[in-house]
This record gives sequence, structure tokens and C-alpha cells, in this order.
Amino acid sequence: MYDFYLPDVYPYLHKLPAALWVTIEISILATLLSSIMGVFLAIMRRSDSKVLRGVSTTYVEVIRNMPLVVLLYLIFLGLPAFGIVFSGYVSGLIALTLNSAAFMTEIFRAGLIAVPSGQFEAAQSQGMSRVTVYRYVILPQVLRTSYAPYGNQVIGVVMGSSIMMIATIEEVTAWMYNTGAVTYRYFEVFVVAGIVYLIVCQMANVARIMIGKALFKSAAAGGKW
Amino acid sequence: MILIEYGGALLRGLGITLWVSCLALILAAVVGALIGIARTSKFMSLRVAATAYTEFFRSLPTLVMLFFVFYGLTAAFNINLSPFVAATIALGLEGSALMSEVVRGGLQSVGKGQKEAALSSGMPVWQVELYVVWPQAIRVMLPPAVGVYVSTLKGSALASSIGFVELMQTGLLVRERVQNDYDGFTVLIAVAVIYTIVNYAISQAGAHIERKSNYAQ
Amino acid sequence: MPNNLKSPNDAAAQDEPILKVEGLVKRFGDTTVIKELSFEVQPGQVVVLVGPSGTGKSTFLRCVNGLEDIQGGKIIFEGEEVKARHSNITAIRRRIGMIFQNFNLYPHLTAVENVTLAPVKVLKESPESAKERAMELFRKVRLEHRATAYPGEMSGGEQQRVAIARALAMNPALMMFDEPTSALDPETVGDVLAVMEELAAEGRTMLVVTHEMAFADHVGDRMLFMDGGYVVEDGPPSELLNNPKNDRTRQFVNSVLKPEAAMKGTADSSEVPPNIAAR
Repeated sequence: MYDFYLPDVYPYLHKLPAALWVTIEISILATLLSSIMGVFLAIMRRSDSKVLRGVSTTYVEVIRNMPLVVLLYLIFLGLPAFGIVFSGYVSGLIALTLNSAAFMTEIFRAGLIAVPSGQFEAAQSQGMSRVTVYRYVILPQVLRTSYAPYGNQVIGVVMGSSIMMIATIEEVTAWMYNTGAVTYRYFEVFVVAGIVYLIVCQMANVARIMIGKALFKSAAAGGKW
Repeated sequence: MILIEYGGALLRGLGITLWVSCLALILAAVVGALIGIARTSKFMSLRVAATAYTEFFRSLPTLVMLFFVFYGLTAAFNINLSPFVAATIALGLEGSALMSEVVRGGLQSVGKGQKEAALSSGMPVWQVELYVVWPQAIRVMLPPAVGVYVSTLKGSALASSIGFVELMQTGLLVRERVQNDYDGFTVLIAVAVIYTIVNYAISQAGAHIERKSNYAQ
Repeated sequence: MPNNLKSPNDAAAQDEPILKVEGLVKRFGDTTVIKELSFEVQPGQVVVLVGPSGTGKSTFLRCVNGLEDIQGGKIIFEGEEVKARHSNITAIRRRIGMIFQNFNLYPHLTAVENVTLAPVKVLKESPESAKERAMELFRKVRLEHRATAYPGEMSGGEQQRVAIARALAMNPALMMFDEPTSALDPETVGDVLAVMEELAAEGRTMLVVTHEMAFADHVGDRMLFMDGGYVVEDGPPSELLNNPKNDRTRQFVNSVLKPEAAMKGTADSSEVPPNIAAR
């Protein structure tokens, strides 16, 4: 039977918090940036302009079907051919953001579809501008339907951040791989990294539930809102 | 033209990618079905265990799984897994968590009344499942199962990092060989295009199935 | 053959009851839905269960079919005790046909496949003869032209008649109807009731939960008024409807029979608020 021996890993544990912070930081940044992109792309998707709709649709379909790691290699290894050189961190962030944005777009689009068209019409009939309609009438409703899938996508970003080690970024997966390589305690480092990811994801889940409760408290009190 | 020279190699890589993700999907379907059934079980302990399984594997990045199976299991149990076997197992386990959700959703989509109607006609439970519940559930499961395949296929690109020569790794190897930066970029773009087209086609097939099954309802 | 044990000294000059309920108690958690229920159904009888919603009528049918556990008392069907978790339950269910409010037809099978599934899989009939019999049943419920349609392509009334044919295909000793017309559009209710009336005329034993008082009066041999988990009144339908002895029965009868509004549209839910009933 395998002799599970964690102490070999202890000397490397001090590097773990920094690695964890990189994972969390890049996940938060990518989530924020891709959310913004997603909102715009989702609104483009509903635009009257065929061109804007086409750009948005194409973007989503291409990115959604391309593995994240391929996108990362394109940016990290491919672009330098044109003299465009990003650091590993920036390459990773760009890849993660572009990737996540496609999924965010789909989430927001589904949320937009769920808002009855009568809502647009009612708001516009009161003379609200398009921006006002979106800001005060549509987005709050979209937020509600999109909330749960959005939470899943945040976890998806954390999962995706693990491939940043390919761009030489020292996050949790890189810590696991590197520590395994020097100690040869691959099983032990896996257990440690697995627990870390599990905790991060469960914390995200708990945060989602708590924020959701706070945001949609009035809904529970009765009525749709 | 670089793509004429290496196009064959890339297509071979694609074949390996499709093959490994097919095998992984089969593993994912079998394990996922068991876990999914356990998740709809009336026994609380089974449900909790199955949910924990799903949550655990969903919280593990594919790359971590690949490293674990390829390096970790090798070290722990002194077995020698080829990158191919390791990739199949890792992707299959990843997929099984997704599949368990798909199976659970499919089973739960079949109304309680269906089971009751079948039971009240005197069918034993296994017949109720076989003739009434599963035929309906599978229709619901198919489109999202296609989604799991696409996600497995995308995940398989990560198997390049354990040295498994599939489409991505083929692209990287070719890129190293060509020296010229522009040609290297072309190769990477070609890889990206191949993945995108293949996955798009599979997704569209899934959407087609979904439309068809909606129409039949 | 519902029963071969005729009691030698049958004072009531009746067969052994096909269904015997003794002190049945059904609870969901802390809520007791059926507090104490005892009655018997004789072969060939059409018993109509009426009463306000939520008084356990449907739950009672589900108990008889072993779809619900019971917390007290006994249900005896053809001399055998019905227990939800006992291995004889499938054998008992074969002998009891159940018609659901929402039909519960199998959406992935055609009408005729819905009807033949259990005969072929449970009774091991040959598919050919099962189909032949199914077509006979479709003639009986006047749906022979719809045999190959899928449930999704049928009206509610058609679906419910397929469901009746499906139950009949097992040749049950007892047919139970759980609000069979409550989910139907008003114009299709008549077709279903007509089929049920024919079954009653054939001498089938039926246990019907319904809010169709005219049908109950016309077809029922006996009416049980249930309220609050008890049988409040038991007797011939005309008696209960025209001359109710119990206050609650009277109130209920008034609420369902008198206001026209209660018969239309919302009549099916029968949940007539007390203030309307009192009018």
C-alpha cells in the first residue's frame, strides 16, 4: 500500500498562499472584465444592426467552441510573431477574459430573453431612453434570471485559471505541479491542491447564496420581486 | 505552404482527440449514470455521497485531474499509465461529474405521475424504469450530453501538458519544428480553427436533437 | 374471478366485499389527512367519493393502490391486505385500474402503445393479441381513429379516454378514477363521462372521486361524503344530494349545486370559498 507522507510537502507549503492569491486575483479580474464584455455583447446581440448581431454571435460561437488552452497558446506563443508580446500574466488574463466573456454573453442573453418584450415597450412608452430602459428596467430583471448561471460561470473561471501555469504563472496548479516535481509526492500535492480548489469553489458557492439572499430578499417576502 | 506539409499530422491529431474524448465520454456516461441515479435515490446517504462526488470533481480543474492521474496515481500505486490511458481516465472522471448532473436532470424531468401510472398498471419497478422512465429521460439527457462531449473534447486539449500527442500537442510540436514565427502562428491558428469547427458542428448537432425532441413533445 | 370464497351464511345476500377499508389512517408528516376511514365496496358497485378539496379523497385512492404508505388501519382488496412495501403490491395493482386527473399517459409512446405496454410486459400477452384487444378498447372509448397518435397530439378528453382504455386493458377487478374530468376543457368532459357511464352499466366495480354531481347522481350506486379525514355521510346519491342529514354535507351540496358559477370553469377545483357557499 502507498505510504502517504505529507511532511515532504511542508517545506513548500509557504508558497501556497501566494499561489492561491494569484488564482483568486486572476479569477476576480477575469470575472469582472468578462462580465462587462458579456453585457455589451449580449446587448449587441439584440441590436437592430445586423452587423452588431453578427459580430456578437460569431464571437460567442468561435470562443465557446475553442479550448481555452488553445486561445492561451495563440496569445502567448502566437502573437509574438507579430511583435505583440504580453507577459505570462497578461496573456493568461486576456485568454481567460475572452473565453469567459463568451459564456457571460450567453448567460446575459438568456436573461434578456426571459424579460417579456412588454417591459421594453412599457418603459419606452413612458419616454425613457434606451439606456434608462436597460439600466432601470431590464438589467435588474436580467440580474435575477442570470444570477445562478453566473455563479456557475465564476466557478468556471476559477477552474479555467488553472491552465495559467502554461503561461508560467505561479498559481495553485503550478504550485502543485512544481512541488510534485521536486518532492515526487504527486499524490500528496494533489490532495492539498484539491482541498484548496474545493474550498475556493465552496466559498464561491456560499458567497453566491448569501449575496443572492441579500439581493433578492424582497422576492422571498412575497410577490415576484 | 506550411499547412499542406503538416495538414495530415494535424488531422491525425484530430482523430486522436476525437477518439480519446469518445472513450472518456463512455467512461463519463457509465460512472455519471450511476452517480446520477444515486443522486435521485430515496436513501439520503446515497444522495449525499453522490452529491459530494459531483461537487468534488466539479471543483477540480481538468489540468489538476490530468496531473493527478498521470503523475499522482503512477507514484501512489506504482502503476505505469500511458498518457493516453491517463487522459482517458482523467477526462472521463471530469465528465462523469457533468454527466451525473445530466442524468439527474433527465430522471427528474420525468413526472412523478408517469411512475405512478406505470406502477399502478402492475409493472415491477425495473420495468417502470426500463419502459417508462428511461426512454423519456434519455430524450431529455441527449442534448446536454452532447454538451458534455464538447466540453470533454475541449478539455482533451489539456492532455497535451502530460505529453499526450493529440491535436493540440501535434500543433505545438509542428510549431517547434517550423522555426519561422509566422508559420508557427499559422499552425496555432489552424489548430484553433479545427477545434472550433469540430465543436461547432457537434454543438449544432446537439441543438438539432434538442429541436427535434422539443417538436415531438 | 374477483372472489371465490362466498360466505356460506351470507345474511346480506351479497358477495364478499371486493374492497374493505378498516380504520385507515394516513399522515403526511404531522398532518393527518385521513383520520379514520372504514367502508366496504361490493362487486359491481359504483361508489362516488365527494367532498371539499384536500379532504383526502385522492390520497385514499393512492393508498388503495399502494402508492402511499398508511399509518394505521387496513386496506383489504380481494381478501389480500394492501401494503405499499409488500412484495405482493404489483400483483394487486394489476387487478386495480387507476385513472389519474392528469392522465399520465406515456408521452414517448403512441396511444396504442400506451395501452399495450402493461399487457405485454406484465401479463406477457403477445404483442399481436394485445394490440387487437387495444383496438377493441379504442372502439369502446370511440378513439379508433387516434390509435397511432401521440399523447401530445391529443386533446385532454382524448387522452383521458386512452387512459381509461389503458386501465381496461389489464382487465381490472376494480377501477379507480381520481378526478378524471377535473383537468379537462369543459367541452371534452362529456365524452369521458359517457365512457365511464358505459363501464358502470357493464357492471364494473368503480370507485370515483369527482365533482361532477350530475354524473354522481346518475351513475353512482352509493355516495360517500368525505370531510376532514372522515366519511361524514354514506348513502344513495339522491339521498345525499336532496336530503343531506349532515350540516357539512348540506353546505357542500349547496355550494356545488346551487351557484351556477361554481359549476363553470372553477367548478372542477370545487374549492368554493365558504362565503360563496353561504350565499
